[in-house]
Amino acid sequence: MLKLKTKLSLFNLLSKIIFTALFLALMPFLIQRINLRQVDNDLIQKREQVIELISEIGIEPFISSDSSSSFGSYNILKEEFISLEKINITEDLNYIDVTPRLLDEEETDYRVLNYSLIVDGQKYLLEVGRSLDSILRTEKNIKRLMLIFLVSIILITFFADLQYTRVVLLPLDKIRNKLKQISDPSLFEKTPVKTSTSDFVLLDKALIELMDHINILFQKEKEITVNISHELMTPVSVLRSKLENILLEKELDPVVEKKTEESLTTLHRLQSLVSSLLMIARIESHQYLREDTFSLKDLLTEIISEISPVADDAGIRVLTDINDDLTVTRANKSLIFSLFFNIVNNAIKNTPREGEIRIKGKSTNKGLILSIEDTGKGLSDLQKKMLFERFRMKDPASSDGTGIGLAIAKSIADFHDIKISVSSEPGKGTIFSFVFSENS
Amino acid sequence: MNVLIVEDEKSLAREIEKFLRSENFLCDLAFTGTEASEKIAINLYDFVLLDLGLPDYDGLDLITEARKLNSEASFIIITARGDVQDKVKGLDLGADDYIAKPFALIELLSRINAVARRKFRVNTNNISLGDFEMQLQSRKLMNNDHEVDLTKKEYDLLQYLALNRGKVLTRHQLYEHIWGNILDDQYDSNFIDVHIKNLRKKLNLHSPTPWLETVRGVGYRISSEEQD
Repeated sequence: MLKLKTKLSLFNLLSKIIFTALFLALMPFLIQRINLRQVDNDLIQKREQVIELISEIGIEPFISSDSSSSFGSYNILKEEFISLEKINITEDLNYIDVTPRLLDEEETDYRVLNYSLIVDGQKYLLEVGRSLDSILRTEKNIKRLMLIFLVSIILITFFADLQYTRVVLLPLDKIRNKLKQISDPSLFEKTPVKTSTSDFVLLDKALIELMDHINILFQKEKEITVNISHELMTPVSVLRSKLENILLEKELDPVVEKKTEESLTTLHRLQSLVSSLLMIARIESHQYLREDTFSLKDLLTEIISEISPVADDAGIRVLTDINDDLTVTRANKSLIFSLFFNIVNNAIKNTPREGEIRIKGKSTNKGLILSIEDTGKGLSDLQKKMLFERFRMKDPASSDGTGIGLAIAKSIADFHDIKISVSSEPGKGTIFSFVFSENS
Repeated sequence: MNVLIVEDEKSLAREIEKFLRSENFLCDLAFTGTEASEKIAINLYDFVLLDLGLPDYDGLDLITEARKLNSEASFIIITARGDVQDKVKGLDLGADDYIAKPFALIELLSRINAVARRKFRVNTNNISLGDFEMQLQSRKLMNNDHEVDLTKKEYDLLQYLALNRGKVLTRHQLYEHIWGNILDDQYDSNFIDVHIKNLRKKLNLHSPTPWLETVRGVGYRISSEEQD
């Protein structure tokens, strides 16, 4: 798996390398041709200069009419020469070829321009030559320059590409982060990502629309849950008042009285279930406000004072170690109360006599952390996994619970961006940890 | 006292009526908002029990109307569970209390009585429980001039039982009264048992408490004065 920008950059690099390789393969041939043409042009130019010189000063300075029949001039390194000699052929000569020359017992190849000219009725052969060695040297120099140029171009453009793709793809990263951060479609950031790339604008728009759509569906589903629960409450109300009226009748047969109370208890369970579902639906559809600020220690103290009679009765010690300065902001106090009450109450129910419950709160760089630890029977891995699922964790030890308390706790925590983690060792105890996110 | 019950669920309205009649209230019923509006305009009520979920009327408008008519009626709003906004709006409009559905009839009665005590400044006599005397005004329980040290919850529990003297209150009714709705999902019969146990322990240090009865399988009751 590679990142898009890596892929693009790699492709760019690869295409450049292939292009360069092709170029390099063709280069000797090209350079040779260009170079030869250049050399030939040089030779022709020199020829013209010689002809001009002859026409100005005559042929005598080069070849006196009697003494010698030829003139030759080499430069010091024998890279170039010009020669002039009398010839006796009728046809005109004008061509360039490669011929070996013997110089100081050493044969050297020259590229030679042969040209015949007539001065004062005498035909001369003018040869202008350049050694192949010097031509090849030039060729080599050109090649080296080209190579350096190409490599630097590739490197520069590669890094420029890399930087550019990074900048161009930045909005994509932003969109990805937007998706990554949210746990619920309603939380998707609706302000479009700033970009001049229309594809990203479209993608972002499509995502926002999709989230809106999902959100509407979710909202509808939650509304249905709210409505159903509401509707269920009415018959429960009717039944409840009927049963309570029966119970209030004077001279009631004790058997009827007991049966009625049992029916009421069952009805209470139904009521509690429905209201729990209603509560979860309301929390999930954000119908509660988050505008309370309070001290975590005070809240836990309140919870403990509520629950201490039950803890004392069960012979369980509740110990607290909570920093004074822990403040919870942007929260719904009664929901948070309910959350921790639930967890502490659960801990008491699941801890045998003489057990302990330790509540610790501190501030860390990750945010506020509250942990509630019991010395109870602990949880198996399976139990841990299903802990927060609705109706799964029906504890046989408590007859009153509906198995939904922890699901409520979870939805309250989610609502407040509180992360719950559970660690447990069967037979030793369980620790619930709550990490408050920075903004809660 | 005169009560108008505004509730579109007829069978529920009738049960409330039956219960309140047994408590010596005079009851009138209205099943729709229009009906209620007419009755409030014509009759004088001490209390209006108002269900906000009426099909034809925004229940809160009834409060506004009644206030315009200078009606003396005290409104107790019946809301669907958790409709916090309705509750706040209702109280802002001058409703005296609210109660969430489904509620215990006993709880409804105690709300009415509480409003009545505030309104007419009656019924604030102290309640005597055996050798104890409950001072409602100062929220104290006295035993021969000694104050019995009770927690807030214990006092509330005892007062609720005392105000509903002679009636059996189930653990759930007591729990609901003390802890309200927010901890509804946490209902635990053990909570009430523990508090009653502690209460008995504390009171018995002073005097015996035969009047605080456990009704097996049902709940708790403070026996009527005649049986003391």
